[in-house]
Amino acid sequence: MNKLKARVILSMIIVPLGLIIAAIPENKTKQYKLDSQQMLNEMVEGNQFIVPDEVAHMLVQKDPSLQLIDVRSADEFDKFHLPGAINIPLNSILAEEWEDYVNQDVKMNVFYSNGVTKGNEAWMLTRKLGYENNYVLQGGLNYWAETIMNPEAPKNTVADDELAKYNFRMAAGNALGGGKLQASNTSTNTKKKKPIIKKRPKKKRAAGGC
Amino acid sequence: MGPFVITEIISENTNFLLAFVIGIGFGFVLESSGFSSSRKLAGMFYGYDTTVLKVFFTAAITAMLGLLFFSLFGWIDLSLIYINPTFLWSTIIGGVIMGAGFIIGGFCPGTAFCALSIGKIDALAFVGGLFIGIFAFTEGYPLIEELYKAEYLGIPTINESLGLSRGVFALILIVVAVAMFWIGEWAEKKFPREEY
Repeated sequence: MNKLKARVILSMIIVPLGLIIAAIPENKTKQYKLDSQQMLNEMVEGNQFIVPDEVAHMLVQKDPSLQLIDVRSADEFDKFHLPGAINIPLNSILAEEWEDYVNQDVKMNVFYSNGVTKGNEAWMLTRKLGYENNYVLQGGLNYWAETIMNPEAPKNTVADDELAKYNFRMAAGNALGGGKLQASNTSTNTKKKKPIIKKRPKKKRAAGGC
Repeated sequence: MGPFVITEIISENTNFLLAFVIGIGFGFVLESSGFSSSRKLAGMFYGYDTTVLKVFFTAAITAMLGLLFFSLFGWIDLSLIYINPTFLWSTIIGGVIMGAGFIIGGFCPGTAFCALSIGKIDALAFVGGLFIGIFAFTEGYPLIEELYKAEYLGIPTINESLGLSRGVFALILIVVAVAMFWIGEWAEKKFPREEY
C-alpha cells in the first residue's frame, strides 16, 4: 500500500513538471558568456596580442596549429593576405558557418586586419561568447609590413639580440614573400580549399552507467 | 553558470573530489535499495521485482527534469554537456553483452562493487570476470578496432531525430515512465515469488 502511494505521489510531481517543460520554449541562449568586468580585465591584460615575430616564426616553421583569420573584406583579402589565412569578414564573424572555426580548441586563431581595430573587435566579440584560442596580430598588417616585410636595420650600437631579431625578420620576410606587400603569388592561395576543422569535441566526462 | 568544470568555476581536481563524494552517495543508495542482491536485480527480468526499473527510471527522469529546468533558469548551458557519441555496432554489441552479463551474473558493474563491499562471494567472481573482460578488450583492441569504430553517427539525440523539442520529448518520457511504474507493479503481482 505504501509503495502504491509513493508511485502516485511521484507521478503527481513529475507529470505536471513534464507538462510545464513541454509547454515552455527551450532556453537556447548560451549562458556561458564573459561579463563586462571580466572582459575589461582581459582587455587591460592584453594577452590576446601576438607579436608579428611569433606569427612569422610559426609561419616559417609551418606550424599546423596556427590559423590566420583575415577579418577584412573579401576584396582586400583577394589583393593580399598572409599565407594560409582564411577570410572571415568582420560582419560575418558571428555567422553560423564560421562558428566551427572561431569556437574550437584545436588551433590557435590569429585575427588580423590592416590596423589592430577590426582584429581586436573580432577577438572581443568571440571572447565575450566565451570562445578560446583566439588572438590578435599586434599592430595588424601595417605593423607586419613594417617589421617583417621591410625591417628597419638597427644601428650598429644596439645589443646583439636586437640584431638577431633583425636577421630573423629579414630571413622570415624573404621566406614569406618579403619586400613587396602586393605579392602576386598569393592568388593561388585564395582558391585553396578551406581547411577542415572538426567540430569541437565536447570535453570528455567519465561516461555514466550503473 | 554551469557546467562548473568547463566554465572553470571549479578546478578539475575539485571536480574529482565532488565525484568522489557523489560516488559514495551513489553506492550508499544502491546498497540501501537492495541492489547488492543479485536476486533482486535478476527479478527485473522475471518480473517478480521491478525495483531496478523503477529506481533507474526515477533517476533518469529526475536528472532530465533537473537539467531542463536548470537550463530554463539559465543555470546551465546544455550545449556544453558531454553526450556520449554513437558508434552503432559498438552500441548494439555492447548492449547485448551487457544484458547477457547482467542476467547471467546477476549484477551490473556498479552493483557488483556494491555487493563486493558487503562481502558477497558471487560479486567477487563477477568483478574478477569484469577485469578479465577489460584485459581481453584492451589486449584484443587492434583486432576489433574497425568494428568498434564502425557506423559513427555523431551525437544524435532521439528528440532531434524525431523533430521534437526537448520539453515535449521529456513529457513523453515521463508518461512512458509512469506507465512503466504501473506495469512494474502489475508484473510484481502477476509473477510473485515468496522469498528471495
